[in-house]
Amino acid sequence: MHSQLPREIAGSAEVKPIVAFHEVSKWYGNVIGINKLTITIPAGVTGLLGPNGAGKSTLLQLATGQLYPSQGTVQVLGQKVWNNPSLNRFIGLCPEQDAFYEWMTGWDFVHTSARLSGLSRSEAREAAAETLEAVGMTKNKDRAVGGYSKGMRQRTKLAQALVHDPEVLFLDEPLTGTDPVARRDLMDIIQRLGGEGKSVLVSSHVLHEVQSLTPNIILLNHGRLVAEGHVRQLRDLIDKYPHHIVLICDDYRKLAGRVLAWEDVEGVRVLATERGLMVETRSPDAFYGRLPQLSLEDGTAIKEVYSDDDNLEAVFKYLVKK
Amino acid sequence: MKSAPSFDAVDLEAGADVPDGPSGGFGLTTLWTLYVLTLRQHLHGKRWMIIGALFLLPAGLAVLMRVMDPKEPSVSLEFALAFMLIPQALLPLAALLYATGVIEDELEEQTITYLLIRPISKWALYLVKMLATVTTTVLLTVVFTVLTYLAIFVGGDTPAATVLSRCFTAVSIHCTAVCTYSCLFGLISLLTKRSLIGSILYILVFEWLLGNLPLAIRLITVIYYTRLIAYRTLPFVTPDPGSQNIAAEKWQFDIKSDPNLLEHPQLAICWIVLVAGSVAFTLLAAFLCSRREFYVKTPEKG
Repeated sequence: MHSQLPREIAGSAEVKPIVAFHEVSKWYGNVIGINKLTITIPAGVTGLLGPNGAGKSTLLQLATGQLYPSQGTVQVLGQKVWNNPSLNRFIGLCPEQDAFYEWMTGWDFVHTSARLSGLSRSEAREAAAETLEAVGMTKNKDRAVGGYSKGMRQRTKLAQALVHDPEVLFLDEPLTGTDPVARRDLMDIIQRLGGEGKSVLVSSHVLHEVQSLTPNIILLNHGRLVAEGHVRQLRDLIDKYPHHIVLICDDYRKLAGRVLAWEDVEGVRVLATERGLMVETRSPDAFYGRLPQLSLEDGTAIKEVYSDDDNLEAVFKYLVKK
Repeated sequence: MKSAPSFDAVDLEAGADVPDGPSGGFGLTTLWTLYVLTLRQHLHGKRWMIIGALFLLPAGLAVLMRVMDPKEPSVSLEFALAFMLIPQALLPLAALLYATGVIEDELEEQTITYLLIRPISKWALYLVKMLATVTTTVLLTVVFTVLTYLAIFVGGDTPAATVLSRCFTAVSIHCTAVCTYSCLFGLISLLTKRSLIGSILYILVFEWLLGNLPLAIRLITVIYYTRLIAYRTLPFVTPDPGSQNIAAEKWQFDIKSDPNLLEHPQLAICWIVLVAGSVAFTLLAAFLCSRREFYVKTPEKG
């Protein structure tokens, strides 16, 4: 598949990649998660893009040493990752699963994460306070995680990944299910991390999320590398297909009236059972850009935004056929 | 996207700036934090309440039986409750509920990721979590064994020094047994995905059925060594004239043909078997843990 899409990685042989997969395959029984993947990821922010089931989480779990490759080798910072716990001092992971020690407070969770990473009591206190501040959770740090909104949970997950100041960050769908404000804040944080010289590999099935963070993308589908490079070229393909965005909001009928007035919205379908809307647009950038303001100004409390991004699957089909 | 272009040169240059080989393995801070975290997990579950309620049973029964039959000898009560009910039923149950969840609970709740991405080896992860699990089960055992002894002996004729000595011996035996059970069930939890069922089957077949048969196969059960230690360290003889050790018959020790149980392991051997068994089960489990992948179901994997 990938051979049909020639690519160049200039100078890749001369520099140390942050992440290097060589001929890596991973099977779960008879199901293949990653298929003969060879890729090097340089420093900076890189987007890992692919539809659900593409193998993004498997790739991140392999890169963080949680899974052992069935075939091939995985290296991060020039070191093998499997059974190399000391490497974890330099790695941070924000996992996709929405799992916590629910009985802990946000502070407790991040502080414990810092201590588990080997920070002394005073270092951990300081690091937890700074990180919670950085992700905008200082105000809610003393509440139990079990009572957090989705956005707060994502922020807290990000905080535990950052608390030991890692060199490389792996973020697995960090924006999934967040409200517009949290989404914008999290994007700002990730961009800031990139600006501070951290290497970040952020996965998503939504192109428009990724392209707001970085122009460098890796495309996966069915466990294979489909393409890698600059986002611009993929965008041209993506925008040929309508983009579906789901908005969850208690007052979804009022919200429908508001978004229908926007010129770039081609259609709105009410999802009564989910108390939400599915919006169809060919200008997702503009649409996403207006959401935080709408949420703040109009008092329309949008609880959750997500994209099924079925158009991405169409683009993959296009790329594969080509 | 015929030809995906390269990443830009600036990023590539930054890529050269990677730290030299990370040094160090894991520190005491990490291990201590994990130990405390595991203890806190035990406190926040409902398990300790269930176990606590069950462990109150012997003390409750002791009070009830003393009220109903004040002449019942304390030794009979002690034997029935502290040396039949507790080691046969409650200790394996407590160990089962805590030890099978050493890793499995983290997997089920998908929190194991937060531990696997820390600078700690998987074998050390297992050892520390097992140590915390043994701490919890031992603490529960100590508290409720003492409560049982208080319920049996307080207000009775037995001298306080004797009660104290017998209670201390019982606590030591029970703690060793619960430790062995915990280590064994921890190992079972890494050998099978259905560890709860596997451990229950083990208790039913080995500890309850085979352990009560006067056959050599009982040498592979924990209950056999626990009973033998109890038999060799505590006399279970009621004050009635001519009464014999009530444990011998109940535990199938043939004291008529072998009054000193010479055909059975000596006291030191029994202690060694239980302790060595605990160590062996734990080391084997830690080894298995170090080689294992832990699949966390993500929404993507389903």
